[in-house]
Amino acid sequence: MNAQRLQTFLTAACAVALSTSPATQAAEPSLDFVKDVRPILQKHCFKCHGEKEQKHRLRLDSTTGILRGGESGESLLTPGKPGESYLVKRITSQDEKEVMPPDGAKLSTGEVAVLQAWIQSGAALPDMAAARESLKFKTDHWSFQPVQRPAVPAFPDSQARNGIDAFVLQKLREKSLSLSPPADRATLIRRLYLVMHGMPPTLQETAAFQNDSHPEAWSRMVDRVLASPRYGERWARHWMDVVRYADTNGFETNRQRTTAWHYRDWVIHSLNEDKPYDQFIREQIAGDALEAEEATGFLTAGPYDIVKSPDNNLTAMQRQDELADMVNTTGTAFLGLTMGCARCHNHKFDPILARDYYAMQAVFAGVSYGERALKKKPDPATGQQVTALHSQLAAAEARLEGLRQIASRHPVTAALRPPVNARLNEETFPAEDALSVRFTCLATTGAEPCLDELEIYNEAGVNIAPAGKAHATGTFQGNPIHRLEHINDGKTGNSHSWISNTSGSGQIQIDLPAKTRIQRIHWSRDREGVFQDRLAVNYRIEASPAPEKWHTIASSDQRQPYQGAQDPAAFVVHLPDLEAAEARKLLDESASLKSRIATLTKGENAWLPGFSQPGPTHRLYRGEPAQPREVIAPDALSVIGTLGLGVNEPEQQRRLALANWIASPQNPLTARVIANRLWHYIFGTGLVDTPGDFGANGGRPTHPELLDWMAGELVTHGWSVKHLQRLILLSDTFQQASTPRPDMAVLDSDARFLWRFPPRRLEAEAIRDSMLAVSGALDLKMGGPGFYLMDVVEENVMHYFPKEKYTPAEYRRMVYLFRIRAAQDGVFGSFDCPDGGSIISRRSRSNTPLQALNLFNSSFSVQQAGLLAERLQAEAGPDPAAQTRLAFQLCYARLPDVFEDARSRDFIQLHGSHAFARALYNTSEFLFVF
Amino acid sequence: MNPLLDRRRFLGQTLTGLGGIALTHLLAQDQASATPVRPLINPANPNAPRSPHHPARAKRVLMIFCSGAVSQIDTFDYKPALIQHHGKPMPGAEGLVTFQGEQGNLNRSPWEFRPYGQCGKMISDLVPHLGAHADEMCFIHSLTGKTNTHGPGENFMATGFTLDGFPSMGAWTNYALGSENDNLPAYVAIPDPRGAPQSAGNFWGSGFLPAAFQGTDFNANTPLRNLQRPPVFSQPTDHATRQFIATLNRHQMERLPGDNELAARLSSYELAARMQLSVPETADISSEPAHILKMYGADQGGNPVKDLKAAYARNCILARRLVEKGVRFVQLFNGAYQTGGEGVSNWDGHKTLQEQYVKHGEVMDQPTAALLADLKQRGLLEDTLVVWCTEFGRMPTFQKGASGRDHNPKGFTAWMAGAGVKRGSSYGATDEFGYQAAVDTATVYDFHATILHLLGLDHERLSFYHNGIERRLTDVHGHVIQGLLA
Repeated sequence: MNAQRLQTFLTAACAVALSTSPATQAAEPSLDFVKDVRPILQKHCFKCHGEKEQKHRLRLDSTTGILRGGESGESLLTPGKPGESYLVKRITSQDEKEVMPPDGAKLSTGEVAVLQAWIQSGAALPDMAAARESLKFKTDHWSFQPVQRPAVPAFPDSQARNGIDAFVLQKLREKSLSLSPPADRATLIRRLYLVMHGMPPTLQETAAFQNDSHPEAWSRMVDRVLASPRYGERWARHWMDVVRYADTNGFETNRQRTTAWHYRDWVIHSLNEDKPYDQFIREQIAGDALEAEEATGFLTAGPYDIVKSPDNNLTAMQRQDELADMVNTTGTAFLGLTMGCARCHNHKFDPILARDYYAMQAVFAGVSYGERALKKKPDPATGQQVTALHSQLAAAEARLEGLRQIASRHPVTAALRPPVNARLNEETFPAEDALSVRFTCLATTGAEPCLDELEIYNEAGVNIAPAGKAHATGTFQGNPIHRLEHINDGKTGNSHSWISNTSGSGQIQIDLPAKTRIQRIHWSRDREGVFQDRLAVNYRIEASPAPEKWHTIASSDQRQPYQGAQDPAAFVVHLPDLEAAEARKLLDESASLKSRIATLTKGENAWLPGFSQPGPTHRLYRGEPAQPREVIAPDALSVIGTLGLGVNEPEQQRRLALANWIASPQNPLTARVIANRLWHYIFGTGLVDTPGDFGANGGRPTHPELLDWMAGELVTHGWSVKHLQRLILLSDTFQQASTPRPDMAVLDSDARFLWRFPPRRLEAEAIRDSMLAVSGALDLKMGGPGFYLMDVVEENVMHYFPKEKYTPAEYRRMVYLFRIRAAQDGVFGSFDCPDGGSIISRRSRSNTPLQALNLFNSSFSVQQAGLLAERLQAEAGPDPAAQTRLAFQLCYARLPDVFEDARSRDFIQLHGSHAFARALYNTSEFLFVF
Repeated sequence: MNPLLDRRRFLGQTLTGLGGIALTHLLAQDQASATPVRPLINPANPNAPRSPHHPARAKRVLMIFCSGAVSQIDTFDYKPALIQHHGKPMPGAEGLVTFQGEQGNLNRSPWEFRPYGQCGKMISDLVPHLGAHADEMCFIHSLTGKTNTHGPGENFMATGFTLDGFPSMGAWTNYALGSENDNLPAYVAIPDPRGAPQSAGNFWGSGFLPAAFQGTDFNANTPLRNLQRPPVFSQPTDHATRQFIATLNRHQMERLPGDNELAARLSSYELAARMQLSVPETADISSEPAHILKMYGADQGGNPVKDLKAAYARNCILARRLVEKGVRFVQLFNGAYQTGGEGVSNWDGHKTLQEQYVKHGEVMDQPTAALLADLKQRGLLEDTLVVWCTEFGRMPTFQKGASGRDHNPKGFTAWMAGAGVKRGSSYGATDEFGYQAAVDTATVYDFHATILHLLGLDHERLSFYHNGIERRLTDVHGHVIQGLLA
């Protein structure tokens, strides 16, 4: 670039910097990327962001690289707006940790000016169309590809019982492996009950199967098992691991959620009735819209920190953590994706952008923690009463609506803007120059007006108020959270707000550093939506392009009157006397009807989320609440599709749209993920061995075709989970023996290819339930509040101590345990029992001496062994041989062999049946499924 | 799953768009540094000893955690400027709002400071016995945290994350290194006599690591659960029952030979039997001679504070006995959230700091100092790293209208002693009032990285795959603080 040309650029750049008038832009000379800009980048940037090295995955030597940006997720260029362009921010930053390049000479003023001018003129790059096409977000990763329903491999009938076997046999053959022979009936029935119910079969169930010579005996038993309520209890516990369910808040106070069980019961009930899986998904995300409000307990089942501090940034971070919990759980549970990785930057391994993360966060932005009253499901008589009340109410409301219309004709014009609200009010007007802006409050909903922020936007859409100086007619004294400087400090919420010192009125003025063209103002009482009091309902906003040249740019005159919750009767004053009297009477009637309906339909409280319309969601740079970037509309994963929602979409609509998107047969992940989870819980390992991660970092399916075939089978059979489970249980693959075969183990030691049924240790819940079932103590009461294995000491924070003594109140199935975060039961906590602290898609299966000590010595084991001994005495009499037979049938669903029989009888004779029962509870055969 | 293979597999994919970028960069990274290391765990003996990543300075860790946030201002972080500015506002902090609300004026410590040892370290009269060991200690005064709330703060110190659900440092250590003692748990947490800290089980939990690596909690007053033979069974019956179980298990294994998990089950019962003998033996401090009890203050009593001190002293003796037996990670707690609330049973001195700390100092000082001395005289400081820490610090100001200090994560003190640390030294500093870290600022991540380093572990490589991420104790942060190393 010759000197004259540079001079021209600099002049142009200065003109751009000084003026915002579009007229001057036309006079700019055209800038060429290759000639003028690239050399600057080459000189300063290519060393780290070029062909050889791409620090933070950024390369600046190609159009694609520049358009893509680095892993921060920031777009480098905002054409026409150099000031907003990330590239310019980084090269001009005053922060030495931020400024680029980090070492060596910084860009000269001239070089910066050239970049700015080029961006101002549109930031044209060579071959942009082709680069954009190549950047279209796509992936070749297997799990994101549409589910293809493969043809079932052909095998002679005798070899492949069903589609599952065909795919498994094909893979076994490929690997020079083979299926094991069928397991014996005793092993089979015990396996079926332990896997599907988490308890061994009863004597009657065993006998019924052993004596059933019908060729369909197995399939009939599978049907019985799937129809039993024990099934839902067992499988609900699996789901509760995935959705990090527990009955306390966690964190330091760890208070109890005594009503969280409504969600747990909903899960059990849904599984038992084989609710279609797509509906199961929809209800958990948006059940409030689908007559299944208990299901939304899913959203707030995770840990929740109730201790908030006045430090806004920390509190904002807490909120971010809450939303991250909802996004992560939704992503992992239904999609097998690790969304959380994209909270601070684009996902390093999977096609998930930081903006995708915040798009999904926007879906949940209106969800809050707490309890609310359930709608009561009325009995028929009450139902009729409610219907009658509703029709009376409808009549009253119809007449009231008519009266409102009469009132609205009164002095008011038609096209009024919505009334003010506490959360956010946007005032737009034709752009104009302003040196100062002032906000005058003339009336409030009560007390001194409070504003948490007054934002003044320039034509570029940047809030310039923070650069201005604020004045007020008066500021409420004595509370540090209410200060004048909070009005334009960029921090929102009640704890960073301004309050006037006069009731009902006050004025705040912001002097801008220089005359600026402005075109929008935002103001709010409490952007976080907690407070609605002190709201300015009558106000005027004025601008002044020069000292004291005020004129109004927006006011409450253009808005509908604020009616809020405070005064639904406000319109009455605009009515003639007769109608006014009628309106008052109708309002009273309507209120009374609503209250009667509420009383009749309001059920008990449940730990369920609250929903409210949220403010805008921003992408957060590096996940930091103090660094909000562009506003993000609620959406799904961009690599798969879009929900097409607006930034102001109604709250419920957002969740409903996401739920429908996830629960769609077209979603490549949903059906595959659940099919794999089912496989995982049946065989101990999924076809994908990372059931919560279907991304690039997770496992690959051992049987991709089988997984797709099952996913298709699920969808085409109305998303019936039981249908798919039935197919698996009826397969030879499930029914084969578990005996090790050294020749197979050499090739596939973990039996990932299913040359045997892989034996495994039972989970904590299955062990405890089995002990209770066998001793005869088990209480099969379903649902309702959970039982405790901890004693609770209630203070400001809760303390939990493992119980040492157990009564029949604790003899229920463990799915009904009141599960306490960060505290482990004294006996079963050592068996990898999750506490709901994080999502667990696959439990560890530890083997420790503590487990042995707990099972051998705990008062629970001793007590249950005692009950089993009593049962043996009662049902088999004093004969050791009879006791042995009964005990083996109860514990192992089989009879003892000669060796076991002899040893057991001897042992009972010498040490008694209590010690014998204690021993059986500690045997591997009792603790494992084979 | 071989992580290196996974990485290659990832690179081998033909992702376009996001995934396909920067292949060469990743490859370069692969060669240069952090290949994750997941220890190979033998399911039959998950606590078998495993090699560190590099030669270790410390074989084990004794972590002393003071719950409630100990004030650095009143213990180890001497600030003469506070004496001059006593009663004046803290400059530049007008209207500062912290955890509980508004701040009052700067307040000097009610305790005098005096120099100790050859290093001349200024230490407060609240902890004179600890002061006597100044030449063994390596102070870090510039620690910074991420939260000013106890629960998340304790989670952070315990697990490297403010959230619930992550493995504790001891669990990571146990996972990486296993145990050197077959007859004791590899990782023991000794709760304060008053009860558990605020984050309770998170402190010694295994999070998403296998339960085999979680801490076992017991103290000198409450023995390990389920260790005793149930009285309903006689000794011979108990013994015969074990043998009968083994007989049935072996018989069953004959039908299913070669199954690892079943073999592991057998060995866990054998281990349990050994623990049943050795844990009570180790936990029984009645064999300690009188001079040892006296040295720790375990012989004191007669009023509630002295009783508590004696109970804590017994825990200190238990800690020494566990260290002596080679337990890999011992956590000793001082302070609990059991009773009395704020500041009464822990170091959370918001309102009446002086009255509360007089008691806490009395309880903590002598026994902890004796523990250090005892470890030293037995040569155990050679290969044991002692770490003293708390969840965050406190303000140099008093809270408005109160005589105590609010939470402050911006600059707080911890110390180390023993294996591999620079004796009689201080690292980093807070500003003149002790408010914010000002010199050599360090994070809790750095602190954790340094502890792992001394154990011979690379904090960037020790990892466990969970929910799509190679998880680490230090998340994606942390640098070894070289200035602490001898």
